[in-house]
Amino acid sequence: MVAEVETSGSMQDRRRGGAASNLARSEQINGWLFIMPALVLLGIFMVYPILWSLWMSFQVGRGMNFSFGGFANIIRLTQDPVFIRALSNTLLFLAVQVPIMLMLALLFASALNDSKLWGRGFFRTAIFLPCVTSLVAYSVIFKSIFALDGIANQALLALQLIENPINWLSDPFWARVVVISAITWRWTGYNMIFYLAAMQNIDRSIYEAAKIDGVPTWARFWFITVPMLKPVILFTAVTSTIGTLQLFDEVNLLTNGGPSDATLTLSLYIYNLSFRFMPSFGYAATVSYVIVILVGVLSLIQFLIARDRRR
Amino acid sequence: MSSVKLRDVRKSFGHVEVIKGVDLDIEDKEFVVFVGPSGCGKTTLLRMIAGLETITAGNLDIGGERMNEVDPSKRGIAMVFQSYALYPHMTVRENMGFALRFARVPKDEIARQVNEAARILALDPLLDRYPKQLSGGQRQRVAIGRAIVRDPEVFLFDEPLSNLDAELRVHMRIELARLHKELKTTIVYVTHDQVEAMTLADKIVVMRDGIIEQAGRPLDLYDDPANQFVAGFIGSPKMNFLAATIVEKAAGNVTLELANHGRARLTLPLTGGTVGEAVTLGVRAEHFGEAGAGGADISLDIDVAEHLGSTSYVYASAGGEALVVEREESRHENGRSHIVVSIDPERAYLFDSQGQRIR
Ligand SMILES: Nc1ncnc2c1ncn2[C@@H]1O[C@H](COP(=O)(O)OP(=O)(O)OP(=O)(O)O)[C@@H](O)[C@H]1O
Ligand SMILES: [Mg+2]
Repeated sequence: MVAEVETSGSMQDRRRGGAASNLARSEQINGWLFIMPALVLLGIFMVYPILWSLWMSFQVGRGMNFSFGGFANIIRLTQDPVFIRALSNTLLFLAVQVPIMLMLALLFASALNDSKLWGRGFFRTAIFLPCVTSLVAYSVIFKSIFALDGIANQALLALQLIENPINWLSDPFWARVVVISAITWRWTGYNMIFYLAAMQNIDRSIYEAAKIDGVPTWARFWFITVPMLKPVILFTAVTSTIGTLQLFDEVNLLTNGGPSDATLTLSLYIYNLSFRFMPSFGYAATVSYVIVILVGVLSLIQFLIARDRRR
Repeated sequence: MSSVKLRDVRKSFGHVEVIKGVDLDIEDKEFVVFVGPSGCGKTTLLRMIAGLETITAGNLDIGGERMNEVDPSKRGIAMVFQSYALYPHMTVRENMGFALRFARVPKDEIARQVNEAARILALDPLLDRYPKQLSGGQRQRVAIGRAIVRDPEVFLFDEPLSNLDAELRVHMRIELARLHKELKTTIVYVTHDQVEAMTLADKIVVMRDGIIEQAGRPLDLYDDPANQFVAGFIGSPKMNFLAATIVEKAAGNVTLELANHGRARLTLPLTGGTVGEAVTLGVRAEHFGEAGAGGADISLDIDVAEHLGSTSYVYASAGGEALVVEREESRHENGRSHIVVSIDPERAYLFDSQGQRIR
């Protein structure tokens, strides 16, 4: 009697289990069908090129004539002065531009978060606008501003800050300054939006309490705003680092890497290696993996620095 | 000296005046509670004392000095916010000591003061925790501790207990009363819980619509409200209001007719009022007497009875007028559908049609 009940019970269980697994299987198939188009596209346009470029980075040769070269490309990297130039330029841009831009974005954000500021809607829009303007349009305008007879020189001359016009785009130092200003101008507002959004979530009475307790303005910014925005600052630092490591558009349009490679970046060098010089796809792929490794290492360092030290 | 004096203080946001001329004297070491319905301007007035809102017109003195333009940090005040406003990325210890770092207080002195505040508030075991690791009541105590270490002349509290559950509220209320005794400072406290007001205050300030309706000691407001609003606001359950008309006046007393209670008549020992005037009679739930005890008897239909153990509240009505009657013996009255109670003329209040007290 007992055994019978047990078997029929377990049979029922099995039947129910079977139905459930059928259902689960059809749900799974449906799910996969839904994401299949996206997966196929991702596979063709992301995974395949990534793997293919990894394979390519071990190939040597010109154009479509290539053969396996082992570590030849990596050795070539260490002996290639143009690569060293591009790498050091890129790291210089990174080291100078990202901190300046994030500082500016933070300062703008905290200024524009003050509800008593007059015209803050206008300023918010004005500072955000650059990152939605057309890249080519803004490059052309920057080029004209920093031309020999552009308004930058005219203004500085009129203010008597300089005696002779500066040859912005053909002087190595000033060309870098122009490139850094251009990307800072374009991306500061974008980062500011993240900070503003995060600041809106901070309880205003925290600042009021600090004010009543006599905490000075700079300390409210440094000891309250900055720590509370830490996750967002980390996020913007990582995305900006990645963006600057891949810097291409601005240098391509403004200076074309010149003068004499003073603003050549890794991305521009990759482009030149693949499409401008005698094509050397294998070596170009190796250089692009340098960027990948840099992004990985720098992001990891930033995460470690910003890690929450309280367990 | 840490008295606070407000003279014809006003506040407008744009064209909207929200504080419409407030005169108030807060004595040194006094516990003053602002009460009033939501939106009456309690928080705004407190923030004006704190210096978080500018004062549109009038005069604010703290400790005998005009403070209208003085920076919040230099007014000798500390404030505890409804949301606690703790710094989420700092430990309890850092939260309490943070502001002192900018007042050039030496490190060991900060540590001493933080430990002292922690002792008063029983926060010692929590000093190294972060706010998110604390319960609501503990956070509240940290916020109070942060105020204590600054050793202010005046404490400002904006609804500090409103985020706590009922039991914790009672507990913290007692803590606050104890704290006031221990610290001996002036406290200005905002709440809309009138039990908190009655139990904590030396002086209650009842506000409505940006003005002070009445200020005084809790029992004075309870025994002798200046108008119908204060009478209805102070005391729980709310005072009952019965529509009436003055039908007779003699030397030293007036006789009323209660419109909704079979034209029952009641004579009160008052001198004000005119014959024929429509008035409102106020009687507290706890002041109804047994039938036939004198005054006027009224008969009520019972809607609901709440038995709280020691006492019961009977929700009843007559002629469309809802009343609450407190009855100590009503647990024996289960099943009855109506009761007869008497109104004691000595414990009834009369208000004119504007809500002002007729004395
Ligand atoms: N910053 C502001 N701008 C415009 N109006 C305001 C502002 N702050 C408060 N008010 C108005 O002032 C009036 C009083 O507000 P207040 O916050 O002082 O009320 P309260 O008595 O504290 O109410 P509650 O009990 O709900 O906290 C309200 O009508 C409110 O809408
Ligand atoms: Mg309020």
